[in-house]
Amino acid sequence: MTEAAIRTWGLSRSYGPRNAVTELSLEVPRGEVFGLLGHNGAGKTTTVNLLTTLLEPTGGGAEIEGRSVSDDAANVRRSIGYLPENVQFYDSLTLMENLRFFGRLSGIRKPDARIADVLRFLDFPGHENQRLGTFSKGMRQRVGIAQAILHEPSVLFLDEPTSGLDPEGVRMLRETIIKLNGEFGITVFMNTHLLSEVTRTCTSIGILNHGRLVHHGSLAGTLAAFPEEQSLEEIYFQLDPAMAR
Amino acid sequence: MNVFLASAGHEMLSVRRARISHLLLAVFVGMVSVSSIIGWITNATVTSVYEQILAAGLTTAPNPFTSVPALYYARNAVIYVVLIGSLMAIVLGVQATIRDRKAGTTSLILSRPVGTIARLAGQLAGLGAVIAAVLAVSMAISWAAISIIVGEALGPDPTIRLIGFVGCAWTLLMVFASVGMLAGIFSKRESTALLVPFVVWSGLAFVLPQLGTAARPVALLNPVPITVATGGYFDLVAAITAPLAITEQFKRAASILLQDVNVPGSPIGSIAILIAFLLVAVTVVVFVPRQKLRGALND
Repeated sequence: MTEAAIRTWGLSRSYGPRNAVTELSLEVPRGEVFGLLGHNGAGKTTTVNLLTTLLEPTGGGAEIEGRSVSDDAANVRRSIGYLPENVQFYDSLTLMENLRFFGRLSGIRKPDARIADVLRFLDFPGHENQRLGTFSKGMRQRVGIAQAILHEPSVLFLDEPTSGLDPEGVRMLRETIIKLNGEFGITVFMNTHLLSEVTRTCTSIGILNHGRLVHHGSLAGTLAAFPEEQSLEEIYFQLDPAMAR
Repeated sequence: MNVFLASAGHEMLSVRRARISHLLLAVFVGMVSVSSIIGWITNATVTSVYEQILAAGLTTAPNPFTSVPALYYARNAVIYVVLIGSLMAIVLGVQATIRDRKAGTTSLILSRPVGTIARLAGQLAGLGAVIAAVLAVSMAISWAAISIIVGEALGPDPTIRLIGFVGCAWTLLMVFASVGMLAGIFSKRESTALLVPFVVWSGLAFVLPQLGTAARPVALLNPVPITVATGGYFDLVAAITAPLAITEQFKRAASILLQDVNVPGSPIGSIAILIAFLLVAVTVVVFVPRQKLRGALND
């Protein structure tokens, strides 16, 4: 088995003449919390969509836990959890009904016991029979995390997980990510705009600029490589001039 | 198998929770259920008029209702299936596929180890179970109502015929549910997703039969189709359009099964056409490419 949880080589995706992601090559070792940074339209969501098999690459390739996203997509899907930006569910169904559905789609035959465990882990009991239509954004995000980890994935993809959350929600999410990574060794790949969250949560980072990876390395190494800069924010603006403008 | 069963169960649960589905199902069950009552009222009215005319010595002909079979009272259900049932099936089909696009859950589903064939076949199976349940309830009420009207429980032969009619109705409605599912997948807007299958339904239910029976368009609204061929061009058009006009095929098969003396012959050919349509529709639905399911709505 390869040591890298996520590996891409020359990964590209274009829409007609427009390149959303261009020759992205990176490795994320097992057990890392990787933060992918970039301006709006930099290609972060496209990258996650490629790695979660939602999109087919138009060039290059990628592997999750040694399995090709193109040739072994079904097994890749078994090994990953995914939380899209602004996650939505079926509002007319209850929390249990929503999670049962996603649990069964993930191959869990009798998901109720596992759902109870996950809700306990997320400190989210007591809402099982409440319809999702009544949930706040922060509560929905917890449901999103719950569905993403129900089937015990080894790699978790989070697309802008803090988007629209209040400070309490952001704190809860940060603690959950750290707990998932620390207790279960889940590799986390997250897109985010919040550099402060990256500093607190991630062990390594990558910076995308117009679909190209302009920097990739450990957080500590990145900070050490730019001794002149005071913070990750300053490093980021130096590496991604598009944001500085 | 898990994905198929999960999708089927989820579809049934979602239909149960949707208000529009409740309304449509209630209207359909209500209309089909009262169709036998309407038949009975028609019988009573005609018989009453007949008796007055007979008493006045204006006729010696027998009462036209004396020898009608018990299933005569279910005949109105045929047109309700074509008109109300088809629209209900279309709405259920559209909702099945557009629900994920509206809720934004398509990406979540497709990031799971879900085969699109199992997923879509499961949704179709869920819809099939809902439609079968609705038809079963409607027919059970009809069976009881007809039994009360004729004064005795329906025997095995009319009961089997009634079940055959339900089978034909289910096949027809599943074709329209499949058309609805396809519209829900490919349309850019929810309104278009509903309009397109309604246009398809109108074409199949009204335009195609009219091309073949243009000389008697009134026949379209009757449960009994009458193929009118005036020779030459009409023969040719009728030969081409007749198999495609599946609502007419349903009406023909249903009329024969419900012992309508005006429609002779065997229902086998019409049933075979209905089944062929269903197989084609289901095949097209389940083989929709994975990427097509992710299309965003412009609403």
